Amino acid sequence: MTDPIAAARAAGRTLLTEVESKQLLEQAGIPVVSARLAASADEASRIADETGYPVVLKVVSAEISHKSDIGGVELNLADAAAVRAAYARIEAAVAKTGAKLEGVSVQRMAAPGVEVIVGMTTDHQFGPVLMFGLGGVMVEVLKDVAFRVVPLEPRDASLMVREVKGYPVLEGVRGRAGADVAALEAFILKVSDFAATHPEVAEIDLNPVFAYPDGAIGVDARVVLAS
Amino acid sequence: MAIDPERIHRMLNPKSVVVVGDKGPNFQWLTNQKEFDGPLYSVQLDPNEIKGIEERGFTNFTSLADVPGAPDLLICAVPRQITPRIVQDAIAKGIGGIAMFTAGFAETQEDLGIELQERIVAMANEAGMPIVGPNCMGIYNRRLGIRFGAGMTHAEGGNIGVMSQSGSHAAGITQEAQFAGLDVTRTISMGNAAILNEVDYLEYLERDPDSQFIAIYIEGPRDGRRFFEALRRVTKTKPVVVFKGGTTEHGASAARTHTTSLATPTALWDAMVRQAGAIPVVTRDELIDTLSALVRTVPAKGRRMALLAGSGGQSVAVSDSAGRAGLEMPRLADASYDQLKEFFNTIGGSYFNPFDMGGTIAPTSARGREENLQRILDILSADPNLDAAIYEVNAGGGGPNQDPERLNRMLNAIESWRDGSWGKSLLMVMHPGTNPEAYATGRAALVERGFAVYPSFDRAAAAYARVEWYYRNRAERGA
Repeated sequence: MTDPIAAARAAGRTLLTEVESKQLLEQAGIPVVSARLAASADEASRIADETGYPVVLKVVSAEISHKSDIGGVELNLADAAAVRAAYARIEAAVAKTGAKLEGVSVQRMAAPGVEVIVGMTTDHQFGPVLMFGLGGVMVEVLKDVAFRVVPLEPRDASLMVREVKGYPVLEGVRGRAGADVAALEAFILKVSDFAATHPEVAEIDLNPVFAYPDGAIGVDARVVLAS
Repeated sequence: MAIDPERIHRMLNPKSVVVVGDKGPNFQWLTNQKEFDGPLYSVQLDPNEIKGIEERGFTNFTSLADVPGAPDLLICAVPRQITPRIVQDAIAKGIGGIAMFTAGFAETQEDLGIELQERIVAMANEAGMPIVGPNCMGIYNRRLGIRFGAGMTHAEGGNIGVMSQSGSHAAGITQEAQFAGLDVTRTISMGNAAILNEVDYLEYLERDPDSQFIAIYIEGPRDGRRFFEALRRVTKTKPVVVFKGGTTEHGASAARTHTTSLATPTALWDAMVRQAGAIPVVTRDELIDTLSALVRTVPAKGRRMALLAGSGGQSVAVSDSAGRAGLEMPRLADASYDQLKEFFNTIGGSYFNPFDMGGTIAPTSARGREENLQRILDILSADPNLDAAIYEVNAGGGGPNQDPERLNRMLNAIESWRDGSWGKSLLMVMHPGTNPEAYATGRAALVERGFAVYPSFDRAAAAYARVEWYYRNRAERGA
């Protein structure tokens, strides 16, 4: 198994790619949608065949931080032809920015769920701290998030999930399915364990994490190493 | 090397004290220790100052080496350039510890100040010399009469330990607590916390049998991680209130994750304090209010409140206060209502929680009888639906404390209720109203009787809610 941290260090990077981030978190037992790197349209369609459709392609480039802003994310690709066409579009979009394209990440498209964010940062006073919040507008605008200092006790995870104002959304509102709160708590505790045992990791965003009536999975991930 | 806790204990509970470098016109450091029971010495070289010191009856020496014995506490008020010399002499003399009032160190962010502080820290650490500060007000010890403010009580007893990163908050918390009838055992003004820091002090207060309750004012910890861990442990046995000051937000521009950009100091502190099981507050009023509820009522058992007021308008307002604080106002048990309806004056009054009982207990009212208060209190005592009560006594406008005799009888009834069958938390409210004199006397009478007293229902309800959270959380943590 490759070591994503060593690979990033060797390349002089502290920001891990999505593929590296997910590989690292997956190795720690944190459920994420695995992503594999494809350096060509051929490779992308071959991986998609193995993964199963529909798939998502996302641009991989050290110079591009906000992938969807430049048209670097292609969702819901139903077959190999769609994957090849999407790869070409991403190539063209990246060419316009002048950034260097390293390839695309290929992953199975996750079924929609309630979007939440689970993150970690290193505070200069308290060391690693964990964050939980509902995804999308709730986190962007309302900053409806809860923090805890690592390591969390099981009770901390339970309280932090219930502390956000949007918690009723997780319980299910207006006929929408609720989320598996126990699975979210377990997810948070796994990230806490990971943070506690990896001092070389300075920041993590798992955003979004899809919460389902049965389980939760990290759909996008970003890991930043301590410099 | 780490400072020996025994040595810290010796310094904080001195049997002898020496003040170095005190100056006129006030000679505040010597004067503040005037009531100290043990030997008190002065060290000062300046003949002009020596004159004033000796005129005030203090024994002065021109060298620390000449002072008899090895005092347990040295209060240092010399100019900053001289402090390394004083520390050196104190080490040679075998002084217990130093409270360093002198300022002008690292807090100036100037090279000279930073360098001086580094020299002192190196010497103190090598010798294991505990130093409070520098740039602080030192220590207050209620029992021994070691003080840094003239208004600080010298007396036996006390059950609150205070540690503060600000000297003015150290003095303010200590004296406002006194005003609320609370007895602070000891106060430590941490200053720059260059040698001893917040973790040393918290661990000291954890072991101190005279600090059953702990109040902290902090801006930025020296060792946030250890402070969190110590706090999490201490709150299992002692209630701790944390007043965090200086909530300046950091620039989040460099953040590469959402998480980092959202992790503001305010958000993290509040989360950290709660996670550690301590009570976060954001003002000094909230700190004193919370201490009052902690110290002057039995440990909170639940959120179900009876609210007792003298007027209808207030009854609505207090319901709102309770709701904002997350408290509940349950219906009483049917048996209670059956008894209340026999004598309660419901014309212009109500016994549906909140209680509007002015017309029932005021002798000035046609159907009012003073002894009805006792009957109401007895019914509430027996009611299984209640955990606590907030009771407002009117400060003016025909209220009981315009008649001191009546106020006295009323307080007798409430006091025996509190101490006897009730066994649940009771908080008193006296609004300042429009009669400052009546308010001052009435409030003082309530404080004197040992009640937790608040100027508004909002503050009483908020204080009770914080304390209720503390005890519930502590129980849920399995502590």
